[in-house]
Amino acid sequence: MLVRWRGAHEALHPVVRFGWLGLAGLVVLGGGSLAFPAQAQVGHAAPSAETSSSLGVLAFSAEEIGRILSHGPWPPALAHSPARDPGNALSGRPQAVALGQRLFFERRLSPAGVSCAHCHRPEQDFADGLARSRGVAELDRNAPALWNAVHERWQGWDGAADSLWSQAIRPLLDPREMASSPEHLQAQMLRQPSLAAAWRHVFGRELRTEDPQTVLVGTAKLVSAYVATLVSPSTPFDAFRDALARGDQVAAARYPLAAQRGLQLFIGRGNCQLCHGGPRFTHGEFADIGLRFFVRPGVVDAGRHGGIEALKASPYNLLSRWADPAPPGQPDEAVKTRHVEASHRHFGEFKVPGLRQVARTAPYMHDGQLATLEAVVKHYSELNLERLHADGEQVLSPLRLSPQETQDLVAFLHTLTAPAPARSKVLQPKAQQPKSLNRVATR
Amino acid sequence: MKPGLAAAVLALLAPLLTSVQAVAASCGEQLPPAHRVLVEGNGQGRSEPAGVTVAFVPDPAPWAVSRHFALRGQLCGAGRLLRVDADMPAHRHGMNYRPTLSLQPDGHFVAQGLLLHMPGRWRLRFEIEVDGRRHWLDHSVDLK
Repeated sequence: MLVRWRGAHEALHPVVRFGWLGLAGLVVLGGGSLAFPAQAQVGHAAPSAETSSSLGVLAFSAEEIGRILSHGPWPPALAHSPARDPGNALSGRPQAVALGQRLFFERRLSPAGVSCAHCHRPEQDFADGLARSRGVAELDRNAPALWNAVHERWQGWDGAADSLWSQAIRPLLDPREMASSPEHLQAQMLRQPSLAAAWRHVFGRELRTEDPQTVLVGTAKLVSAYVATLVSPSTPFDAFRDALARGDQVAAARYPLAAQRGLQLFIGRGNCQLCHGGPRFTHGEFADIGLRFFVRPGVVDAGRHGGIEALKASPYNLLSRWADPAPPGQPDEAVKTRHVEASHRHFGEFKVPGLRQVARTAPYMHDGQLATLEAVVKHYSELNLERLHADGEQVLSPLRLSPQETQDLVAFLHTLTAPAPARSKVLQPKAQQPKSLNRVATR
Repeated sequence: MKPGLAAAVLALLAPLLTSVQAVAASCGEQLPPAHRVLVEGNGQGRSEPAGVTVAFVPDPAPWAVSRHFALRGQLCGAGRLLRVDADMPAHRHGMNYRPTLSLQPDGHFVAQGLLLHMPGRWRLRFEIEVDGRRHWLDHSVDLK
């Protein structure tokens, strides 16, 4: 339920106005029930000010606070850190990460001069800002930002890859993207003595004696070792969430009230949290949300159904000989691949994207058909149920949001984005371009 | 039925009932007790089998949203476990994964590959064959 606003002092709960106890402590002690009314019901006018330092914190219920806390902490606490690309023994190895970073920006991996960074630009949060991405030719889908990709269960809008490295093979070979080949990769890297030396250092083998298929997979694993390091920074939402967790009223009150109202919608009436749950704001699976899925007249994007078929047929999935075994003590990484199964309802489903850095990664949806966050919220507000498949998610229904609610939800989504341009700790593409590569580039 | 006859029937059945209850209570007793779930078929409803109990634990425990897990357990009673599945009746969808089942002669089983991808009420389903007929034993799990 949304707390509607008439005046700040009226809407604030007495706990907020007259002394605020640690909410997290109350939740723990109270076993899920706070000692004050769950909601403050007031009028409908917009707030006059959005700085919450003088206005406080909405009266979130114990259940709401539990839901808010479930979106963190960020970065996630992992049993095995850093996060590892499944089936990739190079993941987490510093030399592999450094070499993978060089290859990520290396245009000569493609005969057409298209690098990974062509569509995944660091200055654009590792997306490209286009509705449909363009490599050698225009593609059918939007280039997703690469933040936190290592935490994804499935890669790509249709989840056709079960690891970062197997995902990286597709654009390398796709004639519309980088249009490369195993032989081209090997030849180009052999022309760079520093790359050949780095390969020897990482793999302990000579690049020139490698089988081209091994070079292809090795290149993909190197690039993915780098991509696996791209974890998005902490956001204003995280500061609010952590303040709630430790009962810090001063810090929590810095979170804008519009964002708090939007958050309350997100975890409440909006039902957004059902799919956009957890610290990454996604459950990592797929959904049909009534989007247009015609690629062009007469051509349909099968979405997840096609993705599962491609995954099963891939010679590079986690069940293949190319997948490295999981380190001792880690769970079976291929369990998802063994058990996923296509069914009719997967037609028209696309991956539920994580929402971190979402304000900087427009346009939205699998083909970039929605240009702004406002358009995304409007889509859910005016959802056309006839576009959903017969057995689409029962949880979806038009939200019929008021203009104020729309603004609040958008304000909340903006707080999932770090205010400063986000930069990876290891991201220094120009500085790390070796001189030998620059020389060749000018030929 | 005359009261005397009813009492006699109950007296005859009492040891059997006690025995069945004991079997149900001890089913899967080697499983970690903190997370052990017992689901006993009482023959009510159209499909629930009588005299069959399923004991199981999630692995890893506890239940979590959107995390792969296995169910380790035991089927007790005169039945055969055919399939393990899960769905969200309120949302009209199941899992995106089909679990695989490995069975041992003593009724122990491991179902692998389950993943409950949303918060809310899930229904774990155990398809069991008893006397040539197929039944379902269900157990609800509320995920937050």
